[in-house]
Amino acid sequence: MKVTEDIELIDGLPIAYVRSLNSLAVADLHLGYEGVMAKRGILVPKANLKFIKKSIKSAVELTSAKNIIVDGDIKNDFSDVDVEEFNELFELIHFLKDLNLSITLIKGNHDNFVERYKEAFNLKVYRQETLIENYLFLHGEELPAEDKLQSSSTLIMGHEHPAISIYTEAGSKEKLKCFLYGKYDGKPILVLPAMSYFSGGTDINLVPKEELLSPLFKNIDVDSMEVYAIGYGSTVDFGTVEIIKKGTF
Amino acid sequence: MIEFVEKPFSDEESLSVLNKYVRNWFTSNFSELTPPQKFSFKLISEHKNVLITAPTGSGKTMSAFVSILNDLFNKSLSNKLGNKIYCLYISPLKALNNDVLRNLTRPLEGIYDIIKKDRGLDIIKENIKSVTIGVRTGDTDAKERRDQLIHPPNILVTTPESLAILLNSEKFLHNLDSLEYVVIDEIHELANNKRGAHLSLSIERLVNQLGRDVNRIGLSATLYPLEEAAKFLVGLKDGKPRQCYVVDASWSKKLEVKSISPVKDLLYTPPELVETAIYDEINNIIKKSKTTLIFTNTRSGTERVVFNLKRRFKYTDAEIGAHHSSLSKESRINIEESLKKGNLKCAVSSTSLELGVDIGDIDNVVQLGSPKSVTRAIQRIGRSGHSFREVAKGEIIVVNRDDLVECSIMLYAALKHHLDSFSIPLNSLDVLAQHIVGMAINRAWKVDEAYEVVRQAYPYSTLEKEDFISLINYLAGNYVGLESRHIYGKIWYDEEKQEFRKRGMYIKPIYMLNLGTIPDSVAISVYLKGTKEWIGNLEEGFLVRLKPGDIFTLGGKLYKFEYSKGMSCYVSKADSKTPTIPPWFSETLPLSYELAVEIGEFRRRFTEVIRPYIKYKKSKLQKILKGETLPKEADEVLSRLPINSYAKYAILGYFMEELLFIGEIPNDRLLLIESTSDELEGENYLIFHSLYGRRINDTLSRLAAMVLGGMMNEDIGTMVTDNGFILLTGSRVVSERLLDELMHNMVNADPYKVLSENIENTELMKRKFRQIAARSFMILRNYKGNKMSVLRQQINSNLILQALKEIDPNFPIIKETYREIFNDMMDLPRTKELLQKIKKGSVKYKMVETPSPSPFAHMMLTHAHSDVVMMKDRRDYLLHLHKLVMSRLYERKVI
Repeated sequence: MKVTEDIELIDGLPIAYVRSLNSLAVADLHLGYEGVMAKRGILVPKANLKFIKKSIKSAVELTSAKNIIVDGDIKNDFSDVDVEEFNELFELIHFLKDLNLSITLIKGNHDNFVERYKEAFNLKVYRQETLIENYLFLHGEELPAEDKLQSSSTLIMGHEHPAISIYTEAGSKEKLKCFLYGKYDGKPILVLPAMSYFSGGTDINLVPKEELLSPLFKNIDVDSMEVYAIGYGSTVDFGTVEIIKKGTF
Repeated sequence: MIEFVEKPFSDEESLSVLNKYVRNWFTSNFSELTPPQKFSFKLISEHKNVLITAPTGSGKTMSAFVSILNDLFNKSLSNKLGNKIYCLYISPLKALNNDVLRNLTRPLEGIYDIIKKDRGLDIIKENIKSVTIGVRTGDTDAKERRDQLIHPPNILVTTPESLAILLNSEKFLHNLDSLEYVVIDEIHELANNKRGAHLSLSIERLVNQLGRDVNRIGLSATLYPLEEAAKFLVGLKDGKPRQCYVVDASWSKKLEVKSISPVKDLLYTPPELVETAIYDEINNIIKKSKTTLIFTNTRSGTERVVFNLKRRFKYTDAEIGAHHSSLSKESRINIEESLKKGNLKCAVSSTSLELGVDIGDIDNVVQLGSPKSVTRAIQRIGRSGHSFREVAKGEIIVVNRDDLVECSIMLYAALKHHLDSFSIPLNSLDVLAQHIVGMAINRAWKVDEAYEVVRQAYPYSTLEKEDFISLINYLAGNYVGLESRHIYGKIWYDEEKQEFRKRGMYIKPIYMLNLGTIPDSVAISVYLKGTKEWIGNLEEGFLVRLKPGDIFTLGGKLYKFEYSKGMSCYVSKADSKTPTIPPWFSETLPLSYELAVEIGEFRRRFTEVIRPYIKYKKSKLQKILKGETLPKEADEVLSRLPINSYAKYAILGYFMEELLFIGEIPNDRLLLIESTSDELEGENYLIFHSLYGRRINDTLSRLAAMVLGGMMNEDIGTMVTDNGFILLTGSRVVSERLLDELMHNMVNADPYKVLSENIENTELMKRKFRQIAARSFMILRNYKGNKMSVLRQQINSNLILQALKEIDPNFPIIKETYREIFNDMMDLPRTKELLQKIKKGSVKYKMVETPSPSPFAHMMLTHAHSDVVMMKDRRDYLLHLHKLVMSRLYERKVI
C-alpha cells in the first residue's frame, strides 16, 4: 500500500519501504524480551525473533531492499546487555547481513549499549535521529533538533507503538497495530508500529492525546492522522483517527 | 464398589465396638446415638471407607471420630501408640479446623481422665499416654511447625493446601508412616471445585508414598449424587472405585419450610408497603424465636437488612449483627461467639454462615429472596434446630413473582428430597501440572507409573494419556529451544526412558510458594473515560461479564462500559438507559439446572390444570387476575406447595396473565421464543423463555448471538437471566422464517467451535487464562521472594497467551482455559444435550409475536434494575410493562 509516491507499506507487516533510499524502515524490536521476562519468573515462550526474521525476509523478497533503518529500541532491557539479548542481537545482525542489508541504527531509550558493537558489526549508529537524504529518521523520544528538522521534508519515527482497538458486540476486542500518517509542523510524518511480536501497542483511538508517550504529538493533530491498520495478512487504510474513534463501539 | 447402608446397627452393637473407657465416656456425655452414629461406629471400627452425610447438629464429627479415638486409645493401652500421626483431618476452612480442635480436645481429656481414674499409677508404670491432637494450617507459626516435626500429634488437623506442602516436606513425611485414617470434612465444599481436585491428587500421592491404602472417612452436608461424592472420597484402584459405604442421614432432621409472599399483590403494592410487610414478617419471626438466622443473597443486602431492622424495631448492636466475607475476621468471630453463647437475637449473613462452623442453637432461618438451588436452601435452613431431634424451620420471603414460583417449587422439591447435583471439575490440567512438579520433586517417576497414580484420583480417572504427556512436555520446557530449557523447564523428561524427575534446585521453593488453586483477585478501579475521575470499584468476576456498550449501576448511577485496561475499567455516563447487567450478577449464584427443569415441569402440569379457565366469563377471569378467587382445581395443585395463601393467588394470577396474553406458557418441553419490542427504548427483542438454569442460558445465548450475528452480518447484544435470555436485534424484527433458520443453524452448529471463537479475544478468556497460567506455574506469583501484582500477572499472561497461540493453539494451558470456561463456568455439555433434544423434537420450540413483552418476560427485562437504589425506576418500568399487557387484553376483549 502506498502512503506517498516514495513510501510504501509492506502488506500485513509492520514494515515501511522508502523507495528513493531502497531501504526498509522498522522500529521497536525489543529483542531479548522473553529472556528478561523469564528472569522475573514469567515464562513467555520465545516468539519475537522468529517473527521479526520471517517478516524482514519477506519484505526483502518483495522489495529487493539493500538497506534497513531501525528507528530505535532494537533490544528490550534498560540495563546492560545480557547473554540472551546478545545472542538474539547477534543472530539478527547476521541474518540481516546474509540478506545483504546495510544496517543503520537509531539509538533509542533502550539501546545504550549498541555503540560497543558498532565496529565489530560494521553498523551505522546515531543517537536519537539522523537525516538521510531529505528523510529525518528519529526514535521519537525527544523532539527533533531544529536544524535537522529544517533540512528534512519528511519524518519517520517509532517509539509510540501505535495500535487501534475495535470491540465487537460479543465482547471481543480486536487490537491491530497500525501506521499513523499526518503532519508535524507542516511536514509529513509517518509513525511506525512496533515490530516486536509482544508489543500490543497504545490504542490511539482510546487513549487521550495527553497520555501518548512521544513529545512530538504535542505538535500533531492526532485526530486528523490517517490510520493504516495491520492484521490478518494485510494492511488496510482505516481512515482518520477521528473516524475510528466514532466507530469504536 | 459403592454401597448404601440402609439399616442402622443397634445401639448395643455400636457401643460394643468401643473399649470400656471410651464407652463409659460416651454414655456419660450423650444420652443416645444420633442417626449417623448408629451406622458409623461399627463401620469405622471395621476399617471401612465411609461417606456420612447428615444435617447440622447430628453429631457428625463425633460419628467419624469416636471409633478412631477408640482405636488410638486401644493402641495407647497396649503401649503401641507411637510418636506418629495416625489420623489426618482435612477441612476446607481454617475456622472449622480450630473448631474441631476444640471439640476433640474435650473428649480426649475426658477419656484419658476415666483411664487415669481406673488405672491409677499403672498409667506411669505402663506408660499409657493420652492421644494427642494438633493443627497445621497456613497460620501455624514456625515454632509450632518445628515442634510438630519432632513430636507429631496423633491426630493432625489441616487444610488441603497444607497437606500438599507436607507431601513435599521430606523431613516431615516419615511422621505419616503409620497413617491409618484420613477424614475429609465438608466434602460438598470441595468436590465441586479445583481445590477438591487438588486434594484428591494429594491423597493418591500420599497413598502411593505409603505403599498401602488408608481408611477414608468423608463428612458432608446434604449433597447429590452421593455415588459421585463417594467415588471422589475413595478414588479408584485397578480402574474400579474402591469399596465405600454410604450412610445417608441427611433427612434425619425434619424440615418445616414455607415460601411466603409478604403481600397479596406483589406487583401493584407500593414498594414502601412491600418493604414494611417484609420487615414486619421478619420481626414476627425474630420475636417468637430465641435466635433467628437471616440469609440474604448479597453482602450489601446483609448490611441493608441489619440497618432496617435496627431502624424500624430499635434493635441494638448487642441483639443483631451482620456476618459476611467483607467484614473483618474479628467482627465475624465476635458474631459467631455471641451466637454460640445465645446472646444474639438475630444474625444476618450472605453466605459465610452457611458452612459448618459451630454457631449454637438457631431456631429459625429466614431467607430473603431465592437462594437459587434446592441444596443451598436445605443447607441454610438446616442451620436451625440444633439437635437432630428438633425440626429445621425456615421461611423464604419472596420479593417478586418469578422468585415466588421459583422458591415455592424449590421448597416443594426439598420436601420431596429432590436435590440439585454438584459436578466435579474433571481432568483439570492446571491442578495436575502442580502435582506433576510435586511428584518430580519427591523422586524420579516412570511416566506410566505416575499416570496410574493420577488416574486413581476420581477427578482424573478419565484423563487421556495424550493430555498427561502434553503436560509433561510443557513442564519439561519442550515448547522452547534446547538452549532455554534450563529457564523454562521445571522437570527433566527423558523421552527415551519414559522417565521424569525434578530439574534444578529452585524448583522446590517455587513449588512450595506457588501451589494451591485459589486465584489472586483484585478490585477493578472504574474511571470516567477521558478523565482521571475515579467512580468506584468492581469485582473482576463482574468485569469479565461486561461487553462494551453494557449498562450497569455503580453507586446508584448508570454507566456505560467502554473498555478496560489492566486493572482499570473506563466508562461513560449513561443517563436514562436500561441496565443490561444487574450489579449483583457475579455475586449471586446461578439458578441450578435441576431446579429450573423442575419449575418447567410444574409450569407444564399447572398449565394443563388452568387452561380450561380461558373460556371463563370475563368477570370471573378478572376476579382470578385480581386475586379474588381461586378455582378448586388450581387450589388443589397449589395447596400441595409449601406456600402461604397470598402466594397461591399470586401464582395463579401470574400464570393466567401469561396464558391469556400469548395462549401458551413456556415449560420444560416447550421453548417459547417471543419476538417483541419495547416502546420505551425502540429496541427489538427476541426473548428465549429457556428455563434450564443460568449456566445453560449463558452458553446458549452466546451461541444464538453468534449464529444470528453471522446470519444478519451484525453484532447481536444479549441479556442473560435465570429464566431465559434476550437477543437485542436493534431495529430489526426477527421473522418466523429467520428464527427457523436460526434454530436450524444452532442445532447443527459445532458449539465448541462457535463459542471458542466467541470468547477468544474477550476479557473473560484473558482473565481466566491468567488464573490458569498462574496455577500451572507458567506465571510465578511468588518468585524469589517477590510477589507479583495481579496487574503484572495479567499483562504478562496476555503476552504468554499470544505467544502460545502461535506455538500450539491446543497447548494444555489454553485447553484448560476453554475447559474451565465451558464446563465449570458455563455448561456446554448440558447445552449440547438440550440442542439434541430440540433437534430430535423432544423439546419443541415455538415462536410468538407479541405487541409488547409478555408477563413472564417482564422480570427478565427489568432484572437489571434490581439494585436497591434503582428499586423505584425498576418498579415503574415493570408496571409500565404490565399495564401494556392488561390494556391489550382489554383491547382484544379477552377480559
